Amino acid sequence: MVDLIVRPRAGETIDTDAAVRIRDLTVVYKTAAGELPAVSHANLTLRAGEITGLVGESGSGKSTLALSILNGVRAPGRISTGSVDVVNAGDVTTLAGAELRQVRGGTVGYVFQASQNSLNPLKTIGKQLLDLGRSHGVADPKSLIRRARELAEQMGMDADRVIMSHQHELSGGMRQRVGIIFALVLNAKVLILDEPTTALDMLSQAAVLEIVRQVHKERHLATLIVTHDMGVVAELADRLAVMYGGRLVEDGPALDVLRQPEHPYTAALIRAMPRIVGDTASARALPGRPPDLMTVPRRGCVFRDRCPLAMPKCADTEPQLVEWMPGRHRACYADLSDVTAFAAQPATSVGAAAQPTATATPEAGSDTVTEGAGQ
Amino acid sequence: MVIATADAIVDETEIVAPPASRVPLVIRVLFGRPTRAVATVILLLFALMAIIGPMLYPNNLRVDPEHIFAGPSAKHWLGTDYAGADVLAEILVGSRYVITSAIIAGILMVAIGTAVGLISGYYRGVAESGLMRITDFMLTLPSLPLLIVLSQKWKFGSPLMMGLILGITGWAFIARPIRSQALSLRERGFLEAARGLGLPARHVIWREILPNVAPFVAMNLLLSFIGSIYAQTGLFFLGAVPYSSTNWGVMLRQAVEGGALQASSAIAYLLAPMGCIMLINLCVVLLLDATDELFNPRLRG
Amino acid sequence: MALARYIAAKLLAGIVMIWAVATFTFFIVHSLPGSPVDAALAQKLAAGIPYEEAQQQIQAIYNFVPTDSLWSQYRDYLWRLLHGDLGQSISYGGVPVRSVILDNAPWTLSLAVVALLISFALGLGVGVLAAMKRNTASGNGLTLSGSFLHGIPTFITATLLFFIFTTKWPVFPYGDAYDINVTPGFSGPFIASVISHAILPLAAYVISGYGAWMLVTKSSVVSVLGDDFVVAAELRGITTGRKMRYIVRNAMLPLFTILALSAGYLFGGSLFIETIFNRQGLGALQFNSIGARDYPLMMGSFLVLTVSVILVNIIADLLYPIIDPRVRR
Repeated sequence: MVDLIVRPRAGETIDTDAAVRIRDLTVVYKTAAGELPAVSHANLTLRAGEITGLVGESGSGKSTLALSILNGVRAPGRISTGSVDVVNAGDVTTLAGAELRQVRGGTVGYVFQASQNSLNPLKTIGKQLLDLGRSHGVADPKSLIRRARELAEQMGMDADRVIMSHQHELSGGMRQRVGIIFALVLNAKVLILDEPTTALDMLSQAAVLEIVRQVHKERHLATLIVTHDMGVVAELADRLAVMYGGRLVEDGPALDVLRQPEHPYTAALIRAMPRIVGDTASARALPGRPPDLMTVPRRGCVFRDRCPLAMPKCADTEPQLVEWMPGRHRACYADLSDVTAFAAQPATSVGAAAQPTATATPEAGSDTVTEGAGQ
Repeated sequence: MVIATADAIVDETEIVAPPASRVPLVIRVLFGRPTRAVATVILLLFALMAIIGPMLYPNNLRVDPEHIFAGPSAKHWLGTDYAGADVLAEILVGSRYVITSAIIAGILMVAIGTAVGLISGYYRGVAESGLMRITDFMLTLPSLPLLIVLSQKWKFGSPLMMGLILGITGWAFIARPIRSQALSLRERGFLEAARGLGLPARHVIWREILPNVAPFVAMNLLLSFIGSIYAQTGLFFLGAVPYSSTNWGVMLRQAVEGGALQASSAIAYLLAPMGCIMLINLCVVLLLDATDELFNPRLRG
Repeated sequence: MALARYIAAKLLAGIVMIWAVATFTFFIVHSLPGSPVDAALAQKLAAGIPYEEAQQQIQAIYNFVPTDSLWSQYRDYLWRLLHGDLGQSISYGGVPVRSVILDNAPWTLSLAVVALLISFALGLGVGVLAAMKRNTASGNGLTLSGSFLHGIPTFITATLLFFIFTTKWPVFPYGDAYDINVTPGFSGPFIASVISHAILPLAAYVISGYGAWMLVTKSSVVSVLGDDFVVAAELRGITTGRKMRYIVRNAMLPLFTILALSAGYLFGGSLFIETIFNRQGLGALQFNSIGARDYPLMMGSFLVLTVSVILVNIIADLLYPIIDPRVRR
């Protein structure tokens, strides 16, 4: 089923810009203890011309969610329920074989977390571009090389050198950029970047982010950036979606969510960020550890164990993601005002549940100053 | 609405880790699967054979010149050999030599090879390159011709000598991969951390690197064991080593020389030692992945 | 250029290795019990041959004058080696060892090379299959059979094959490289005879050798399957065929180094196979020299065998940068 726009379902508003629509997606992993969900009932929409940041700690399921857009979850994981509609492709969860391959790279471009080794070490970049073209049935594979050259030049690299190089002859930043080239060279409409800046030094990070912004704008893409780094989100994203324990707990316009979070977890994430100015001790770590596949609570709200606003209701039934304001969703029972109050709390006055004494700090990722809640 | 189905399996709290098993790990791993259990039992039987076999018979096996190369019968379960002695008896008696020297050789090979591999993987500089040159040299010498040449010089009649020679010539195969594992561990940085903490080299090698290469070492112990059986029976078969004792390799040689290949009734004489060797081989192969599980906590699930 | 330095280093290492082996062989000969050299000298003297002549004869056989100092003996030995003089064979009645070896080498080499190619190809194919199906019953079965075959000593395989197909069911001819009735030459009957005589030994080589290739290929493919670029290729929509090619080309790299090492193995195996199947070749030479106590021949063939292995290794090292661009810098 080929769509020019993602077809809406009954009751949904027609969204002419929606490029990806994830509906009620659940991804489970087979373990010794049975099939456990890594992503639960996720609902998310990516629009053309919009950069969405997907944040969460490690184990939150964000990478799995991103992979689902390509139907790329591998055994022992599988998509158990839900659908992922992608523009021009239909529901990718129903695709397989040659059809799925066309979507991958052709409609959805994916830039890897480990772009350092995402290419065949034995072949030159150019040859691999040709392979890519032939795999996708491109009539003139050499045209891909031309397009790649343009992209390379645009990203500030020596195109000739890059095309003739092998992976090990390129620096980390260059490899990341080459990864982006491979994701875009077939004119994909959707771009997914998984932790694009994690392995890079600060200068390369800034360069890569700038490239992403440029390219996104020029091609009017629907871009999803998966990251644990709030700073990246603050800088680039138009929308922000927050994941915890496999659930989407909040989403909305990035700046609004950052300024006025309406879920205790989001608030805690933001509070945990050290500011450039002011007292670094004012960063408040979130007590406890993020849950993983085995320790995610099966019942009730996934966040309640670490939540300063937990109530008895939270242990009973899981809060649903509701739109409390046009364009903003949250999954929480707490009153809006309570959450705002919690978010606005100065660092010194802490609630009992927010005592960070003997508990672990969120693990640190890269050590940029704009580091958000750790990974 | 929520994951209500989960309630049936687990209650609202998190999943608890399964209770630790009381049965010792080794037993669990070795007898976990039926094939492994059978293999372990068979190997233990052979070990038993090696220990008590020769005790069951007098030093010089009773020969029965009337019945040379007889086929299997009620009196001689596996027939008789070229001199009329009972083949079954020879198998039992001959097992001690083969298995003892193979164990000695295996342990020696692995010990030397691991030591060389770890040292040359950990220390940089002269020790590393010197040891590597020696290892490469040992690797290029083709082992069987070498053993033949050496057999002219030293007599390997006793299982100890045989085991010693095999061990000293065969360690190079293990040193290389152990070295590359040690090297890759060195790159991984936790060695730097250990040294940064001021831990002495000996501690680092023994406590940090060795446990990581342990599955590989254990696997090689088994492989060296059967490799040594191969090498020594081969040597006896070729007649490179003078035979003064009863053992399986000698039996094979005498079987072939005595024309067992032509006279089918003597086939038991040929097949018995062959069968034992192949059986041991099969058992070891079945147990190989058990060693990985024993030493690799991640696989134990 | 780093590449030139790499080549030079490898060549130098190879030469040093050859020298080390030659020295090693020299000292072994010297330390043989009963010192056959001295014994031979004494024998000749007792037979009435004048001292000078006796010495010369020994020198011709063993490559060194037995009564000179150790150092000059060594020098002499190396000098002659450089000229390709390996002494004279005792059991072949004084024929130079070199000629004996050259006459017999082609038989061993031709069979061994063909066996290697077949084992390699078979092992590669089955290994890839076993890796792709690694957690299934069929995959495990393949792996197990490969491990099992790998562990069976060559001579057992050869003996069994010989027994089953020559004695029990006379399918294949008994021994020799070709029928004695057929005259050697480029003729149909000769070639047919050679082939029919070669099938069993070839089978013995392949059955013993394929297991190792299969196991190594499997573990190499399994480790490459876990590499990032494989997943990346899949998620970029690369066709399955191309993806497999990526995997196999990468997995084959370590195999290449092992190819060189396996040359040594083959020579070891030839000892058994040629003996059991009664064929001529380097292995048979070695075996016969044991019984005949023909030390020059034994040492000579050992040396030739080892030097060949070293040469194969050198060639493999030199060719490696061609297949792995990462080493080229």
